[in-house]
Amino acid sequence: MADLTTKLGALTLKNPVMTASGTFGYGFEYNKFYDIAKLGAVVVKGIAPFPSHGNPTPRVAETACGMLNAIGLQGPGIDKFLHGKEYMPFLRTTNATVIVNIWGKNVADYQEVARRLEQDKTGIAALEINISCPNVKAGGIAFGTDPVLAKEVVSAVREVTTLPLITKLSPNVSRIGDFAQAVVAAGSDMISLINTLTGMAIDINKRTFKIANKTGGLSGPAIKPVAVRMVYEAAQAVNVPIIGMGGIVSGDDAVEFLLAGASAVAVGTAIFADPYVPLKVIDGINAYLDKHGFNSVQDIIGLVK
Amino acid sequence: MQSGVIISNTRLQGDYFKVTFYTPEICATAQPGQFVHVKIANMEEHILRRPFSICNVSGSGELEVVYKVVGAGTEVLSKLPEGTLCDLLGPLGKPFQAPAADEVPVLLGGGYGAAAMFMLTEKSAQPGVVLLGARSKNDLLLIDDYKQSGFEVRLATNDGSSGIKGLITELLPPLFADYAGKKLHFYACGPMPMLLALCRILPEKGYPEAEVSLDHLMCCGVGACFACVVKIKADNPDGFRYARTCSEGPVFAAKDVYLGE
Repeated sequence: MADLTTKLGALTLKNPVMTASGTFGYGFEYNKFYDIAKLGAVVVKGIAPFPSHGNPTPRVAETACGMLNAIGLQGPGIDKFLHGKEYMPFLRTTNATVIVNIWGKNVADYQEVARRLEQDKTGIAALEINISCPNVKAGGIAFGTDPVLAKEVVSAVREVTTLPLITKLSPNVSRIGDFAQAVVAAGSDMISLINTLTGMAIDINKRTFKIANKTGGLSGPAIKPVAVRMVYEAAQAVNVPIIGMGGIVSGDDAVEFLLAGASAVAVGTAIFADPYVPLKVIDGINAYLDKHGFNSVQDIIGLVK
Repeated sequence: MQSGVIISNTRLQGDYFKVTFYTPEICATAQPGQFVHVKIANMEEHILRRPFSICNVSGSGELEVVYKVVGAGTEVLSKLPEGTLCDLLGPLGKPFQAPAADEVPVLLGGGYGAAAMFMLTEKSAQPGVVLLGARSKNDLLLIDDYKQSGFEVRLATNDGSSGIKGLITELLPPLFADYAGKKLHFYACGPMPMLLALCRILPEKGYPEAEVSLDHLMCCGVGACFACVVKIKADNPDGFRYARTCSEGPVFAAKDVYLGE
């Protein structure tokens, strides 16, 4: 059994496998299947200062080795998240390491939700700033595809929180390194990537878009090579911990990200097919380390130059 | 998560099939109106599960699903031979409430919606009525099974090839007349336009608690992804909220379903 602990700056995780925001609900839904405290961290679905309906339906479409989604950040809002029994109060009853993903329509929204979480931060290990959702008209990706705006959001959140800050980057940019540097300069302690790639699918029989929002975010095994490349590029550009994600379904997939320079990984879309995938990924990483004679996860991070 | 070995998979009629899985643990707790989320074998390039209403379960661990071939998943499923192992998540979703002892269950099934309510036949103290509607007689399912269970069967088809020519809702006025004075408990499953019409009609007729099974393109099946939502009335400025059919449904009370655009 190799040492699976991994360090993300001030934060130590029991293992490097987290859940990707938006694919694991608020932890509650999957705690019925297994103890979610077994995961490196649980990253909850995005929280804004306000409740949000999300997008019209249909919201998802399956594509070759992947899927498109445009859920549109449906969510309870910060008040219900902090006080509704199936949200933060539930998470506090578990031993899970909880990371709260936050979003807003403008800089003030991001700051507001971060400020509220700072006031009530018991049981919260870190914040993840979502500047990369491709499916909401205001906020989200608008901040993630303009380095000046990205910097502004991260600085505003940094002002009001002492929690470790992760910024989740969009792959829908040409030079990911520039964005990694911009958010780190603004005070982000680490970065996570990739969010989904903007895509489209058309129903040729109905002659309509398969998703009501017309475009959606592509995820699943189809995007893994893009994600590994971007994690590698980001790792060359900045010297902070990286959480890598995009199409991971196995321990071997996760190892690819670790070798490319990620200190931790997140499993997302694969959970929809099999709720137990995150646990299988943990076991798979351990099996890889044992098989190749590594004592610890730390030994393989960024090993491939 | 359970394994389900296919023990039979046969064509009922036209594009409609019945598959039987051997999956005792799911059978042990399955309730009418619940579903199983199936990872269909031999389609690795398709990453998602497919949800299917549970049609029936047996004490010996056999779970029946009636399905129509409508896309890639059901196409592959229809060709899987006996002995194929699939993995199943379930039983999932909020079930129908069993009728009270003094209630006559009235089931309204549109197309293969007929299958999602079949287990209610074993949960009712007295024989009920099932109204089945479909495009044509080849799309009417489980007629003999419902008859064998003691339910009265009334039919409607769009083309008049079986039963009355017209919509399933046109079977309601004579039903109300024939069952005047009886306590009725309505259940419905079928295409969305039919269900929305019933959500309008049944509360007006004094049955706000009529239970309808709604669904929408489903993804995780357990309430995490918010893909499969439908509009449910809510006390907010918009008058609705998006509720997850997989975990808050699929069964909703007719009075709660939002009928606006």
